[in-house]
Amino acid sequence: MSQDKPDIKEILVTVKELLEGIAKQSKGSERYEALCGAFLLSVVDRELDFGARQDESQSGELQQLLGREGSLSDLYQQFCQQVRGGELDEQWPAAFDFAFKQVVDKVSVTNPKYLAEMHRSD
Amino acid sequence: MAAVSEQQALLDDIVAKLELALQRRYGQAARVENVSIATLGASNRTLLFDLVEPTGRRRLVLRQETLKSEVSPFISPHDQFEILKVVYRHGVLVPEPIFELEPEDDLDVGYVMACVEGETLPKTLLNAPEFAVARKRFAAQTGEIFAKLHAIDPGEVGYLEKVADSVDPLAAQISRYDAYCEYHPGLDVGIRWLENNRPKDKPRVFVHGDYRNGNVILSPDGIEAVLDWECAHIGSAMEDFGWVCLRAWRFGNIDQPVGGFGPRDEFYQAYTSNGGQAIDEEEIRWWEIFGSLRWAVLNMMQADGHISGVRRSLPFACCGRNTSMIEYDMLMTIKGHFS
Repeated sequence: MSQDKPDIKEILVTVKELLEGIAKQSKGSERYEALCGAFLLSVVDRELDFGARQDESQSGELQQLLGREGSLSDLYQQFCQQVRGGELDEQWPAAFDFAFKQVVDKVSVTNPKYLAEMHRSD
Repeated sequence: MAAVSEQQALLDDIVAKLELALQRRYGQAARVENVSIATLGASNRTLLFDLVEPTGRRRLVLRQETLKSEVSPFISPHDQFEILKVVYRHGVLVPEPIFELEPEDDLDVGYVMACVEGETLPKTLLNAPEFAVARKRFAAQTGEIFAKLHAIDPGEVGYLEKVADSVDPLAAQISRYDAYCEYHPGLDVGIRWLENNRPKDKPRVFVHGDYRNGNVILSPDGIEAVLDWECAHIGSAMEDFGWVCLRAWRFGNIDQPVGGFGPRDEFYQAYTSNGGQAIDEEEIRWWEIFGSLRWAVLNMMQADGHISGVRRSLPFACCGRNTSMIEYDMLMTIKGHFS
């Protein structure tokens, strides 16, 4: 918290409001791009909010599933290669469930409204 | 300002050469008028124009390509034009193919086709009141179009056999995905499921490969033309069914699987009653799951274009994050929660 106000959240909201304002006043591709920009700032906001928590949780699950340690990116690589090679076929429900959870985590950051009722936390 | 005058110079150059190309084929009196730009990119251009002759005026479209990427998933403009000729001859609704560009035209590669009036924007087609009748007809008309297309002897488009998607569509998607060296647990699980549940081989037919809401021109009366044959290949008829019903192409109208317009039963009925082969709903489901993989990888491609600088674009940046929603569709469909 070494920085002055406005804090990161407030900055994101401010720039997002600017882009939404631009979108309201524009048409066609200019409007679309402004909306895309506002969307990306919302994504950043959510990722800052719970991205680290998701990483930690997934890391723990993968270490258990794969029986080994490593950075999250190593673990993803291991998981994907093993799934592809059929090495996790015997543990298919657990493998599928992990992938599903990882995808729900990503959608929670990208666009939580896209999640079906069963995956909403609100 | 510099960018605008560069664009204008480019346009002027193309129009001048186009006029010469038309005069070479239609006589000295031929003129180009009323040019409008659909796309004027670095590698890909589409211009609408009037061909004016003493006998009359006709609105045409110039499609031009300057780059041919090695890993492009799309077929060459030459093959696209050949395909247009074949499907047009068989009565499939497409713009009439007019002529192919030649080296002496000095316009790189491409072709000219007839301009078909109508609308392609999914949002407009799904919401504007004037398209109410067209919306109702879409599912059945698509069934008819597919029946006609899939009845064409694949031997007439034999050059498509060598396309990666003709050889093994799943392997083709996997190699595109692997090219990005990114690890998406959802996609690998989806790939494994697709491999473990491959449908039985069926008679191979000529498939459009990218028929969806967005690639079809509609008038208020209904479908006028099918566009964008760059993904055409030889394969299973059910592949075309899976793609048009992909959730992404329903644009929010989730309960109307056929492009967001209509129901499956009207679609399937129209296909079989117009001579199409038997519908295999399990296989269509496989192709919808496959379609999610394919669409996710295409979004990765867009994002990569942005990040690498080849094609910087804010919407392309969003594509990278949008893959998560496509993966969600894929896994929810595998689980049976989505259909």
